[in-house]
Amino acid sequence: MCGIGGIRLAESGEIGQHLVAMMTALRHRGADSTGFALYGPYRPERLVARLRVEGRAQLAGRLDQIAAVLRQAGGELISPPTWDGDDTAADAFVRLEITPDVDIAQATTGWIALGGVEVHSFGHSLEIIKDVGDAQTVARRHSIRDFQGTHGLGHCRLATESDVDVAHGHPFWARPFPDVAIVHNGQITNYYKSRRLLEQEGYRFSSENDSELISVFIADRMKQGETFAEALRTSITALDGVFTYLISIPEGIGMAKDRLDIKPMIATHSPQLVVMATEEQSLRQVLPEEIETVSYGPAEVIIWN
Amino acid sequence: MELKKLREALRIDADAKPIRELNILLRQALSQQQDVVIENPRSRHNLGVALPAGGSVRFEGSVGYYCGGLNNGAVIEVAHNAGWGTGEGMARGMVRVRGHAGQSTGASLRGGTVVVEGNTGARAGVAQKGGVVVVGGQVGFLSGFMAQAGKLIVLGDAADGLGDSLYQGSIYVAGHIHGLGLDAVILEPPAAEIDEIESIIAELGFSLTPRAWKKVVAGQKLWYFDKREADTWLKV
Repeated sequence: MCGIGGIRLAESGEIGQHLVAMMTALRHRGADSTGFALYGPYRPERLVARLRVEGRAQLAGRLDQIAAVLRQAGGELISPPTWDGDDTAADAFVRLEITPDVDIAQATTGWIALGGVEVHSFGHSLEIIKDVGDAQTVARRHSIRDFQGTHGLGHCRLATESDVDVAHGHPFWARPFPDVAIVHNGQITNYYKSRRLLEQEGYRFSSENDSELISVFIADRMKQGETFAEALRTSITALDGVFTYLISIPEGIGMAKDRLDIKPMIATHSPQLVVMATEEQSLRQVLPEEIETVSYGPAEVIIWN
Repeated sequence: MELKKLREALRIDADAKPIRELNILLRQALSQQQDVVIENPRSRHNLGVALPAGGSVRFEGSVGYYCGGLNNGAVIEVAHNAGWGTGEGMARGMVRVRGHAGQSTGASLRGGTVVVEGNTGARAGVAQKGGVVVVGGQVGFLSGFMAQAGKLIVLGDAADGLGDSLYQGSIYVAGHIHGLGLDAVILEPPAAEIDEIESIIAELGFSLTPRAWKKVVAGQKLWYFDKREADTWLKV
């Protein structure tokens, strides 16, 4: 199963509040983990990195190590690190603001090599926050409801592939491309082969989850010169399996569906927003009145800019 | 029936009620020949599932998945749109959607009638085992997939893959067929069958304009394996 959803506002607003409500309405589709890809204002003068760091009791020392790796990758912290307020936890979810000329691939690989560090996102606008548990649990610990922005994605997971832990929860960042995130409902069956091809190109993956492949695949196609829409169309024949996925970049959100039209997606809009999700009852958390909706057919690609 | 008309329908606000509680209330009401109107269904799933005969239920808005599933005789109306699996596994009775419906409308239907006045998503009438599905608009990809019996009647167009891997169900399409599924063939329906189809839709209140009915059935090439027809199988 899994539930996915996204929202695009005409002007910056309460995307955190909306996405938490939307994912709460999809809780029955999976509560192994819940995650959000949130797009705040795009600021070229800084990058935000989101990390999960094990060993909260030794956090100060670990942050020193993280800053040292960052310097080796040509980056500096712009402000002191911040982290979530759950002091009883064994881990800490850390937010870093970094100078933009950092080598993202090097910093990410270096941090992971420290051990007990996951890198969830890098972006001028994007921040990915994900954790085990349902939407309410994750929202409470990570103050998701306070997040303001223009657009975002949400995912609630019923694990069918790979582990139930934070690293294998969605959304997935397209390491090492900043500001690209994906949520996926389905399974990619040619995952290992496609991943090996990308690894031969030098890409590194942060999980054993098949969905992470999609984000890197799309970002790589765009690097090769395809437009966002072209890359999504390419994925429909290049990726085998069952999928409806939402992918976000600073300009907006895209959707692609497999050729057999197996997984649901429904959308609606008002003058202020476009909202899309696995099920209509999720959309109605944002637009509670009776709504006219659009659903999509096999091999369909949609871009909401 | 006469008595029912004298009694006003019971109105229930579904808003915050658990679905299980609502369905129990509906079962009790219908078993006492009491019609019911449900307000604020808010696109939630499993509304009006496994209801007995005895009356009607009207949902005053859109419903989610499986509305009217396993119906055993109730007359169910959805005032707006429906999600996936509307009327799934129904034995008898009626589910009528005034708007559009999602995928797998009338899936595994055994008896009774599912009516969608608008369009449906993919796989309408999938694995149908009896009964009648009537769609006033278009049906989506792979409709009639593996239907074993019953009728799927489409007044609008049918998307690609129509009637893929059919057993003995019959599909009647008045509009354009964008593409047939594996082993599906188009026949010209006999006059007696057209009369039957038109009397079914007239009784449901659809207008009887001249229509170019096409009938889609199994070509029967997938029924038995024949190595000379291996090409057909290799496409599966």
